Amino acid sequence: MSRPAPTPVYTLRGAGGPLNTLHFSCNGGDTPLLYSGSGKGSIHIWNLNTRRAERIVEGHSGNSIIWVSTLQTTDTLISQGRDMQVCLWDLSEGRSEVADSVWTGSVGFCQCSVLETSPGNHLLAFPGQQTEEIKIIELPSKTLVCTLVPDTKMGMVMCVKLWQPDSGPGPLLVAGYEDGSLLLWDVTQRSILSQTKAHPEPVMCLTFDPERLRGISGSSEKNLASWTLDRQNNLQLQDNVTLVNPGVSQLCIRGDGKLLASAGWDHRVRVFGWKRLKPLAVLQYHTDMVQSVAFSDHQDPRERLLAAGSKDQRISLWSIYNEGADTG
Amino acid sequence: MPQLMAQISDPKIAFAYLRPACVLLTKQPTVTNVETLSAQLKEVDDATLQQLQDYVLFPLRFVLKVPGPKKDKLVQTVSEAISYVLENTCVQNWDTLHDLLSELCLCLCSPADPGKPADTSEELQSAVLRCLDALLHAAYGDIVFKLFEPVMLPGLGAAISLLLALAQKAKSREIQVLALKCLQALSLQCDCNQDHIVPSSEERCITGSTMASFLPGITVAVTKIITGDLRQGHTVTVKAIKVWSRTVVLVMEDAQLQVSEPQKTPSPALGRIGQLVVQRTPDWAKSTAGKLCVLLQKIISCTSSHQHWRVRLVMVELADHLLDRCNQSLKECVGPLLEALVGAVNDEEPRVRERCEVALRAVSQRNQISDNSSSAQTFTDVLSENLHTLATSLPRLMRTSDDPKKLFVLNVFLGYLKLLGPLVSVVLNSAVHLERISKALMQVLELDVMDVRIVEERSYAATIETTPGASDSYTAHIQRKHFLYFTDEKIFCVLMQICRTLGYFGNLYLLTDHFLDLYQQSSSYRKQAAMVLNELVKGAAGVDMVTQGQGLESQVQGLSATQEDLNSAIVSVMEEYTSLKNWHLITISEETDRDRQDQQLLSPASLLSISNSDDNNKNCLQVISSSFNPPSTSSSSSTIHQLNSNIWQLCIQLEGIACFAQALGQDFRPLLMTSLYPVLEKAGEETLLVSQAALGSAWDISKACGYPSLKDLVNENSDYLLNDISLNLQRLSQHPQAPRVLTVMLTHSDCSLLPLVGDIVQDVLMALDLSYDHTAALFCSVLHALMKALVRWFPSSCSKTRESARTKQSSSPEEVLDIRQFMLDYKKQKELAEGIGIEEDATIEDLEVPPPMECEDVEDLVGDVKTELPLHLSITKDVMERCIHLLSDPSLRVRLKVLDVLELCVSVLSEKENELLPMAHRCWPPLLQRLIADDPLAVLRAFRVRQTWMLFVRPPCPT
Repeated sequence: MSRPAPTPVYTLRGAGGPLNTLHFSCNGGDTPLLYSGSGKGSIHIWNLNTRRAERIVEGHSGNSIIWVSTLQTTDTLISQGRDMQVCLWDLSEGRSEVADSVWTGSVGFCQCSVLETSPGNHLLAFPGQQTEEIKIIELPSKTLVCTLVPDTKMGMVMCVKLWQPDSGPGPLLVAGYEDGSLLLWDVTQRSILSQTKAHPEPVMCLTFDPERLRGISGSSEKNLASWTLDRQNNLQLQDNVTLVNPGVSQLCIRGDGKLLASAGWDHRVRVFGWKRLKPLAVLQYHTDMVQSVAFSDHQDPRERLLAAGSKDQRISLWSIYNEGADTG
Repeated sequence: MPQLMAQISDPKIAFAYLRPACVLLTKQPTVTNVETLSAQLKEVDDATLQQLQDYVLFPLRFVLKVPGPKKDKLVQTVSEAISYVLENTCVQNWDTLHDLLSELCLCLCSPADPGKPADTSEELQSAVLRCLDALLHAAYGDIVFKLFEPVMLPGLGAAISLLLALAQKAKSREIQVLALKCLQALSLQCDCNQDHIVPSSEERCITGSTMASFLPGITVAVTKIITGDLRQGHTVTVKAIKVWSRTVVLVMEDAQLQVSEPQKTPSPALGRIGQLVVQRTPDWAKSTAGKLCVLLQKIISCTSSHQHWRVRLVMVELADHLLDRCNQSLKECVGPLLEALVGAVNDEEPRVRERCEVALRAVSQRNQISDNSSSAQTFTDVLSENLHTLATSLPRLMRTSDDPKKLFVLNVFLGYLKLLGPLVSVVLNSAVHLERISKALMQVLELDVMDVRIVEERSYAATIETTPGASDSYTAHIQRKHFLYFTDEKIFCVLMQICRTLGYFGNLYLLTDHFLDLYQQSSSYRKQAAMVLNELVKGAAGVDMVTQGQGLESQVQGLSATQEDLNSAIVSVMEEYTSLKNWHLITISEETDRDRQDQQLLSPASLLSISNSDDNNKNCLQVISSSFNPPSTSSSSSTIHQLNSNIWQLCIQLEGIACFAQALGQDFRPLLMTSLYPVLEKAGEETLLVSQAALGSAWDISKACGYPSLKDLVNENSDYLLNDISLNLQRLSQHPQAPRVLTVMLTHSDCSLLPLVGDIVQDVLMALDLSYDHTAALFCSVLHALMKALVRWFPSSCSKTRESARTKQSSSPEEVLDIRQFMLDYKKQKELAEGIGIEEDATIEDLEVPPPMECEDVEDLVGDVKTELPLHLSITKDVMERCIHLLSDPSLRVRLKVLDVLELCVSVLSEKENELLPMAHRCWPPLLQRLIADDPLAVLRAFRVRQTWMLFVRPPCPT
């Protein structure tokens, strides 16, 4: 059981700033890519074959990038910065222009959430100008779908996750707030479906598995709270996982729903089995807070990677628990 | 000879003109009279001379016929005169021909034995031989064949044996050649520029049949000439080979032998002469062929590696000729002949090669025509059969024969491969063939690993900065490999060419698999297999391949491997090369190690090596090696052999990586991710040969990948390197070489690396902080290299001062400190420290030192302290911080090293006094300890630091 501690397959350096967010795009196209957003306002596009930054996109006038993603069906990069802008980038044919941008008005750290409703159309949830406000717009038309504001005071929105349930007409959204509460919103009805207090401290991050209807959230304390949605769309708290050191910046579930990774403030990435939340590995490489983790979306499961971005300006890439891969 | 006067064209006038001279000559046979006549002869034109031929020849022949001894000079002049006549006329009369022939032969032979040449002057012999030649050329077609009638056998035999004796015995090459030429002319096989009779097939048959009687004599004697004196001129050998081949062809021609000759019994009228007649029956042909085959092999073995290309060329012609005309009658000879041809495929001389290609193409065409059913098939079969036999006997030949012979055998081998061309892959599909060939290569390429020097040589210079032009110096230093079974470099070249050809035509997957197997199977084959693999890959990529349509199907090009195949083959081979057990080999024995340590302590400038300076580290290496090697070899006393063998293995593998880079060119760049680190790791090795090979390899890689220099290679790929370094620094126990790679990297790069280095330095310092006890020595050299690099990248005014101070210091002839200078310096420093003469000293320094560089931080010196420090300064500060701790390390070596580092730190920091002073202050107490109470070496070194210090830090420090 006790195998030697795994080491990163390789590391990407030269980002020139703390890394806040990572996003893989390995599915389709010739070269697998990793997008990273740094605290200095640059988005690096890493070619995972050459292990080098293929392009560096500067945006958000030097403000910290807190979130990057790509819109699957199009060639569009979407990024969110602390300059209260969400930018849509046209990266096709070597361009790197801001095609469109949305003003959010949020000064917080809440990352956006994007959901593809139909090919070419997306919903984007982002924190609004008011503390508790969440806005959802449609892309590319930028029409406001709804604004979600809870009645009670809950503090700032810390994290949101948007998904389309198999049953039920409209998309759902789960949001974590500063006071440790989780709220489940029905986007079409603009109503709160369920509410629970998961953490004593602010919810720092959450992720949700729409297949198992199960989610997990992290906070600035030692516990990870996992919760499920029952058929009536009620949030029900389940087991807590207690970590050694407090503070989780991000949680990520692998595409096949088998692994969960947490980005710890204790410089470590922890890997759990998603089913039972069994701790599997502690990945130790970074020398500062890990702020982001992401699993790659390679088609061949053996090529799948885990990336961790840290405040120490490095991205480490790991190949773990891949069937047939020897680094297991 | 241009005739100025009009020649006499009227026979009557000519007759009148020549008559007195002829008459006079008949009466008084003197040299003068002969000369008069021959002068007059030149004034008569050819047609007239023809009419008067008999008349003119009469007095001349008369002179020869006069009984009694004659003067050589006279005979010579007469022969020359006759030659002139014959050259310009034709002999139409059989009697004239016959008589002249015997008369001339008589002039040559000794009176006692008509078969032996007389002991006459060389001039005479030469003149008579020329005359004979002229006679044979002048003979008319209808009469010349009378020479080959059975009746003539004794006379002809005498002439032939006389000529053979001359060709064999004569001291002068000219006479040898002339005699051989006459012999050729006599058998109507002359190849000079004059017109010759073209015999009909019937006439040819008659000639052949008659010459059959003399075949044994001629061939044996000529073989003796060919294989005789190696120093005889090539003209003789060439001529002799021509005579041999033409005679054999004349007699053994398939066309003649196949026509079943009417078995005519020699007419009884011939009497005893009848016994001389040879009947060319099949039995006779068979036995003769057997004998000829023996002679032929003698000739081939003697001439195929002859120094002169004309000889080799004529051999090719011989082979071609015989294969063309006698391939049925001389079946047994086909093998050797083919071998001779194939051996010339790779001749150095293009003319030989071209001729050989023509011949081979003809051979293969003939084969295709002769039996169409499975023609090419059979020829390939013959070739691959030959190849197989050769491969089988190759190891034996390599052990037993001398170098030229080996070279020839290998050339033949290569020739077969080239001939087979793309069919090589078919041949190699047979496991037996491949096995044989690979075994042969393995044995031939066995290296001599006895040289102790290789193990002992250390590279102090390896880490010296390389200038862009330094690549030549690296290639120049590359050590020659010494092989057990041969010494000639050419042989090695051919062997490598063989491997490349295999790779070019063969199935790359099959071959790399096979040789990788061999590589893994046995440690005794490992080096050879690696050499073969390197060349295979090169060949597969078409690097260094000379192929101009030498194959049978010249239009079919090789290159069976696609770029993708090549890539995957290279990846797998390289993985094997750089795997732990094949890459981390012990190359240093412990005791030499100790010597080296002592040496290094005395030479402060040289960089301390890492791996064996440190006991802990050495253990790591031992652990690695012992866990992979069989227990017997892991015993601590690895013999010199093993070390040497390990060194060579590494070198070959390093060369291999360079080969792979060449094979892939720009496509190798992605592979740098995995290959550059191991190469640089070896560049930091202190075994001279390995580090040289690694640097050479790195140069080749940078060239192949399109980087202008090694520095660019390192700079551009520093991210890959640092990635591995950083990972391995965290697992130092398994990867003790990581700091070494960093050291090499720092040595070969420039300040553009700084941002990335800054990153890694933190890793280094952290790794150091985690375990001062075990890793201090290891990291001291890294820190030293780092600081040296920083000093180089950011030359400040101050460091220049230091440099000049240093050069002044070490300008004394030996490294021994100039005590006087030292004392003077010391006094000066002391005064300085006490504040005396600061003013003037400063001005003096300013004069000495070139104007300081325009530093960007100049304003900072006065300005805000809180601005962020330039990276190199903050790194230096961090390093210096560690030095403070390490200054009191229990190990003397570490302390010495730290003092060196400290010195560099001070000079870097000197540009920022605000930073330097507090650090210096903190450094002082432990430094003082070094100065006061430590090993003399440490005191000395500490003093030097103090000295540098004085240049920048005005004292608060008590001295």
